[in-house]
Amino acid sequence: MTRTTTRAAERSAAPPRPETRKGAAPDAPGAAAGRRSGRRETLAGYLFLTPWCIGILLLTLGPMLVSLYLAFTDYTLFDSPRWVGFKNFQEMFEDDRWWTSVEVTLKYVLIGTPLKLLAALGVALLLVKPRKGQGFYRSAFYAPSLIGASVSIGIVWRAIFNDDAIVDKSMSLFGWDVGGWIGDPDWALPTLITLTVWQFGAPMVIFLAGLKQVPRELYEAAEMDGAGAWRRFRSITLPMISPVLFFNLLLELIHSFQVFTSAVVLAGSGTNTGGPGDSLLVYGWYLYEQGFRNLRMGYAAAMAWMLMLGIGLVTAVLFKTQRGWVHYEEDAR
Amino acid sequence: MSARRWTARARGLRGAAAGLVALGLLATGCGGDGGSSSGGKVTIRYAWWGAKDRSVMIKKTVKLFEKKHPNITVKTDFAEYADFWSKFNTQAAGGNAPDVFQNSYAFLRKYGEKNLLLDLNKQVKEGNLNLKGFRNGLEKSGDIDGKLYGVPVGANTFGFFYNPAAFKKAGVTVKDGWTWDDFFAAAKKVRKSDGTLYGSSDNAGVMYLYDLYLRQHGKAFFTEDKKLGFTKDDLKQWWNTWQQHSKAGELVPGKKTEQAKPKATISANLSAAEFTWDNFLVRFAAETDTPLELGPLPTTDGKKTAQYLSSLMLSGSARTQHPKEVAQLIDFMTHDPEVGKIMGYNRGIPATTAQYEAYKPSGVDAKIAAYEKSVAGKLEPITPHPAGTDVAEAAFLRTYTDVTVGQSSVDKAVDQFFDEAESALGS
Repeated sequence: MTRTTTRAAERSAAPPRPETRKGAAPDAPGAAAGRRSGRRETLAGYLFLTPWCIGILLLTLGPMLVSLYLAFTDYTLFDSPRWVGFKNFQEMFEDDRWWTSVEVTLKYVLIGTPLKLLAALGVALLLVKPRKGQGFYRSAFYAPSLIGASVSIGIVWRAIFNDDAIVDKSMSLFGWDVGGWIGDPDWALPTLITLTVWQFGAPMVIFLAGLKQVPRELYEAAEMDGAGAWRRFRSITLPMISPVLFFNLLLELIHSFQVFTSAVVLAGSGTNTGGPGDSLLVYGWYLYEQGFRNLRMGYAAAMAWMLMLGIGLVTAVLFKTQRGWVHYEEDAR
Repeated sequence: MSARRWTARARGLRGAAAGLVALGLLATGCGGDGGSSSGGKVTIRYAWWGAKDRSVMIKKTVKLFEKKHPNITVKTDFAEYADFWSKFNTQAAGGNAPDVFQNSYAFLRKYGEKNLLLDLNKQVKEGNLNLKGFRNGLEKSGDIDGKLYGVPVGANTFGFFYNPAAFKKAGVTVKDGWTWDDFFAAAKKVRKSDGTLYGSSDNAGVMYLYDLYLRQHGKAFFTEDKKLGFTKDDLKQWWNTWQQHSKAGELVPGKKTEQAKPKATISANLSAAEFTWDNFLVRFAAETDTPLELGPLPTTDGKKTAQYLSSLMLSGSARTQHPKEVAQLIDFMTHDPEVGKIMGYNRGIPATTAQYEAYKPSGVDAKIAAYEKSVAGKLEPITPHPAGTDVAEAAFLRTYTDVTVGQSSVDKAVDQFFDEAESALGS
């Protein structure tokens, strides 16, 4: 097995620059003409980029800067913002409901994400082998991800976890009688997590693509050496797809920190937010409540930046640890 | 033709194409804002909260208005209560609030103080809006410190809902002047005689109900100087009483209440009694087949229910370009007899005599009419609703729900509520 381990950073360090593309080959007659056409290409490149640049300036960077400013103010949306320094950030640490939202979100992320990835990888392993009706199975497993984010599926989920509906009834046959999952503060969050795990389609497709990239001959060689199925999975599949695993993990983590819709819909409409006993009060929901219901935009902005710091921290830690477990196949150049 | 010349041409084209893309994007970006009035035609936006049945009715009334005012086009928009206000806040912050929107007394001060509401007095003076012909002096409720921030379309009062069959089976009668002790005793009897129904919904987290209880004791939820009108001990006593009966299994448990949403527990056929606004009878009739009745509220002293009339209103946006048309729409919606016939008691009993008399109530509407007639002589002035009322209302319900689902104790919930309400009221 020839495999060299490199860092992801090295791989993406040199994005192709317009000047070095094939069109402006350095062997063109007259270096000056080459440089001029090169410059024109650069210009064209930037022109093509303008829509994106305008988008990111107007729709992302601008609002982000404003929100950073608002995080240090009292702002009710209608009066002009009033500078308060770090008061919003201080208040968060004294706010019981903020801590609740952090706790609920961490539980959701730390339990939901691994389960979802496990489900995605498991099903991808089943689906990677060619078999009859493969296309159908792949679509069937992907379907929940298409409809999963919709409001209607949240409502369906609410209905089937009711105390006289299918899940509770069939569970009580096995002596597990919760008596309605959605209304119970201990079971509402697990219900939300199952809803998320069920939508494993997107990471599954990425895993499938990753699994197909693993060279067959590695397995053949291993089999020749007498390696069993588990051993092949441990020593070939897992290391070979570790970049994909890393990618999925990162994406899903960042994504689940921002959970909002499913929690809101699952809790049901009404003036009472956070689900039963605030058990579904995910971070995004509390932020929304403070901002758009209580009109405390300054506090909400500060909360958003705390969330960003949190996600940034988790991402940084993951990038640090990837050296130990993510293996990049460096093809010979 | 040499290949190099061709690529040079292509490169030039590429630059042009990129420029076009960029320009096109800018053009579409700026082209979104069309003028709202052209050639004497005026477009105004009208938004409200409510369920689907209300929207079907209102759209009919809008068609009628457009027929009578061919120069005005009305664009409509609606959402459920909580979502409506989130959307409204966002739109208003962008200076883009709907020109006319449904409002209630609880929000007049909040948005009035933020200069979002159109003072309609000028339009009254100019003759675009008629303030005559309102029942019981209802038009005064839209007057906040001399500014007319809203015009009532329908009036409602708080009521006691019960399932007459279940009450009869338990041998309980609901009569004027009954007390809270009678109410809890009735709930207990109903629970004992009926195997499936709970005696009552647990409504101790409903701000308006506690307000009435306080008013029966000479207090109120809010004071004139924008503070809470009760102490922590008052609230502990109220919640502990309800909890005591809840623990005895007489009231719907919190878990089941959560699960029944968005239905109320009485219309989810879980309980035999519920406290809410009387016009909810219309909504409940759509949600359950069980016949329900409206009855007198329990009292403390055997006489006083401390009820008042509240109302849904129509308000204008202070930023509107067309105050005259806004006033015309509000005038039409509050006075036109045809509108009265279409809307029925969906938003409460019509606020003007013209609409009240145009509609002959039948079915559940007749029950509401009879109920309001029965309490008409006892009505008192409304409790003041300072800015922050909505936040306090939501916190009241939520902190009590924490208790009913077993996530909090009464003492803890009371502290939490006072923290949140006092900060929302700015005291």
